[in-house]
Amino acid sequence: MNILNSRASTLRHHDFPISDDGLLSPGVAETRLIRALQSRLREMALAAGAEERMFPTVIAAEILDRSEYFQSFPQSASAVNSPNKTGSYFLSPAVCYHCYQLLMNSALAGDTLLTCQGRCFRAESANDSHLWEFTMREIVFLGSDGFVRAQCDAWRQRTARWAAQLGLTAKLAPATDPFFVGETRGKKLLQQIRELKYELTAPGLVGTDIPLASFNLHERFFTSRFEVTLTAGEPAYSGCAAFGIERWCMALMAQHGVNEALRRVEESDDLR
Amino acid sequence: MGSNATGASAPLNPAVEILLKFVNEDLLADSQEKVAPDTLLFDKGRIDSLKILRLIAFLEVRSGQKIPDELIVMDRFRTIETIAKNFPDR
Repeated sequence: MNILNSRASTLRHHDFPISDDGLLSPGVAETRLIRALQSRLREMALAAGAEERMFPTVIAAEILDRSEYFQSFPQSASAVNSPNKTGSYFLSPAVCYHCYQLLMNSALAGDTLLTCQGRCFRAESANDSHLWEFTMREIVFLGSDGFVRAQCDAWRQRTARWAAQLGLTAKLAPATDPFFVGETRGKKLLQQIRELKYELTAPGLVGTDIPLASFNLHERFFTSRFEVTLTAGEPAYSGCAAFGIERWCMALMAQHGVNEALRRVEESDDLR
Repeated sequence: MGSNATGASAPLNPAVEILLKFVNEDLLADSQEKVAPDTLLFDKGRIDSLKILRLIAFLEVRSGQKIPDELIVMDRFRTIETIAKNFPDR
């Protein structure tokens, strides 16, 4: 089997080889760019007042089940099997699920901002921007409806300003998750009609637009399933801003080349 | 709840009336709260992922046309009046 593969050949001049199964092994300069993007996003999240957390790369099946992940994205989950472990686990498809697990069955002391970065895994159909494994930085907002909406708006604007500062040609527009057909079509249409998700997209290495970040209002979907309440006892609202770091790297390399991209990222500020 | 909820003085457009009846008596049959022609339909989570599919199926039967997903946006679905205007009966 050809593990390092045909897609690598189209991207080799960027030293950014992606295997047929969507596994990336970036070169030295590209690794430096990815690390710089990770640092800058972390600084932006901390400057915005988010509390940073670290989580495992694997997640209990029960948490994904509670989040209706298997119903919404039945083909994306990657199982982890170990004969020495008793539980059923998957590789995390997003870092925010861990935040809901952390807060499960609790009352928030007030409006809450969490941030975390992790390796995430989505076994989506392979193309030049869908990596099976990638790095995601998320900022998760929990609290009142007003707080969550304001944070989502603020992150949308902050990210658009950052993209402009980096000289990235990018578009911000309403979007939907890639739900599968069937009963999840209703979820997708509801998300679309209510404009619960926005994406920032930019041309990637092969020219087509790729999503770099998404800004999501989850209303009470997760908080009701994980019993996260406001002090008055009613379910809190939640939302998140999520950044696919390698995709920022791809878009920046496509538009500026890796060295110029690195300079721009290092010179950008934390957009406090 | 919109201004027409407790009994409008002006007669309703027949298309609005049919849609209003479907939403209040069928879609929201289990709900205490009913909507008016100008109520923001997608506020307060009253329309869930199954109800939106039933609403679209109803509109497709009335109009005799399939509604493509890209037309299912807030500008066309804000209220019952907006929906009736954008998806006329055949």
